[in-house]
Amino acid sequence: MAGIKDLGVGIGWRSEIDLTVERLPGVDFVEVVAENLHVGHLPESVTLLLERGVPVLPHAVSLSLGGADPVDLHRVEHLGAVAEAVGAPMVSDHVCFVRAGGLDSGHLMPVPRTRDSLDVLVANVKLAQANLPVPLALENVAALLEWPDGELSEGQFLAELVERTDCWLLVDVANLYANARNIGTDPERFLDEIPLERLAYVHVAGGEQHGDIYHDTHAHAVLPEVLEVLDELCSRVAPPGVLLERDDNYPSDTEIASELAAIRAVVDKHRA
Amino acid sequence: MAVPTAARRTDVSAEEIGFLTAGPGRAAETALARLIDGGVVRVSRDGLVSAVHQNGHGATTDVETHIHNQVRSKSVRIGQVVQRAANSVKMDALQRDLRSRRLTRSPRPRLGAWWVFLVIGLFLALAAITEPWLLIGTAGFLGTAWYSFGAKPLTRAGRAALAGVTASDRVLAVALEGFRGRVGNQAVGDLFGLSQAVVKMIPRKKKARRMARGGGASGSAAACGSCGSGCGSSSCSSSSSSCGSSSGSSCSSGGSSCGGGGGGD
Repeated sequence: MAGIKDLGVGIGWRSEIDLTVERLPGVDFVEVVAENLHVGHLPESVTLLLERGVPVLPHAVSLSLGGADPVDLHRVEHLGAVAEAVGAPMVSDHVCFVRAGGLDSGHLMPVPRTRDSLDVLVANVKLAQANLPVPLALENVAALLEWPDGELSEGQFLAELVERTDCWLLVDVANLYANARNIGTDPERFLDEIPLERLAYVHVAGGEQHGDIYHDTHAHAVLPEVLEVLDELCSRVAPPGVLLERDDNYPSDTEIASELAAIRAVVDKHRA
Repeated sequence: MAVPTAARRTDVSAEEIGFLTAGPGRAAETALARLIDGGVVRVSRDGLVSAVHQNGHGATTDVETHIHNQVRSKSVRIGQVVQRAANSVKMDALQRDLRSRRLTRSPRPRLGAWWVFLVIGLFLALAAITEPWLLIGTAGFLGTAWYSFGAKPLTRAGRAALAGVTASDRVLAVALEGFRGRVGNQAVGDLFGLSQAVVKMIPRKKKARRMARGGGASGSAAACGSCGSGCGSSSCSSSSSSCGSSSGSSCSSGGSSCGGGGGGD
């Protein structure tokens, strides 16, 4: 795969807002949560979007590729089957773990940025890639803590992951912003360190400050500061796609359209 | 795109018109229709109702607030939303309010086995062939049965409140016809962008239909609305209007429209 084709500006398809997604102007592509779809029984709305020629990209949340537990190949196969069902050019999941010792965290947990941890992640990613029909992109997560004894920065960690697995990157600028707020990481350094030529697409989302913590809720409006991180990214590379994620407290169609327009304005500013 | 609700007479709300037309279920449907119309909730293709924002702003009646509270934090199937609202204490309060305003009266007991009275009446009528004095008894028996068990919950004032009410906007269309009904050639669900599969999730209540029939309002929009068919033309009153036609069609009153469809919020 030489490169990711231009996807444009998209939105995460969720069943609660399916009609909204269908009628919103300027939705170039959508992303579906793979675990929520049944192959052979796709939601009518997703089928309609496919008929219109809107690319549908499966996004997984449960592969737990950063975990020490063996990769659950049934989950990988399901992701691949969804990709084939929707004719997706790629699939994605996160650089994280969600299970350990038989327990499910219910959250995307950051992995320790050590070489040992990277070796585990690389092995798991290679196994997943071998069982997927399309390329895999991996996303940086929002972390509320940093594991001790880290040997690499997040950018270095992802750069080496790309080098060793040839995976693609899904950069979540809202997560970069959240990490900057909560654990003091530097989004610009991250962007300096990752191989931008391997950028598949970008996630944008909203969040909210609770006390000392910024929560990447996907249930609030996108902050201008998050769009500034997107602006910084776009100043370095033209992202193949940028996608708005909204998972709860869905606003009106008008507000969603405004957020998409704001994202498009940032992207177009640099393309012009 | 459906045209939003126009201003309407304020003495009886759309929700109350829904209640007077077909009972609590229709009032609940009307409250939901108002919330969709006001962009307070949205309905998905699968019939899941969810709140647009979770702050509850935009609900204007207790029944609307009840519906909004149901769907504030999680999506709920449309049929369940309507059913819960119809059976809620808020709906009881609405019913009491309508009764206190003398638009409805205390419901008399209704007998499902009404035909038993008919059979007895028929038997008496046949017996009257040989004993003519039984005719008086027959008439008296049927009259008493009708008075005791007949369903006439609307008062004269209630019937008057419904007289002349037309489906001049999509919320009133729901009040009069229900989401499953039709306005002219157009399905009411279409006015909200709801598929037939979704509107069929809303339970159709025989009880509600009986109430509308009992409500009388002969020839009024109410009677047409609850019958669903057989009233001839659409509920729009103007002869020149045509709700069933494509975009831009409008009904007579207030410059509002029942044409269009789509855009539930």
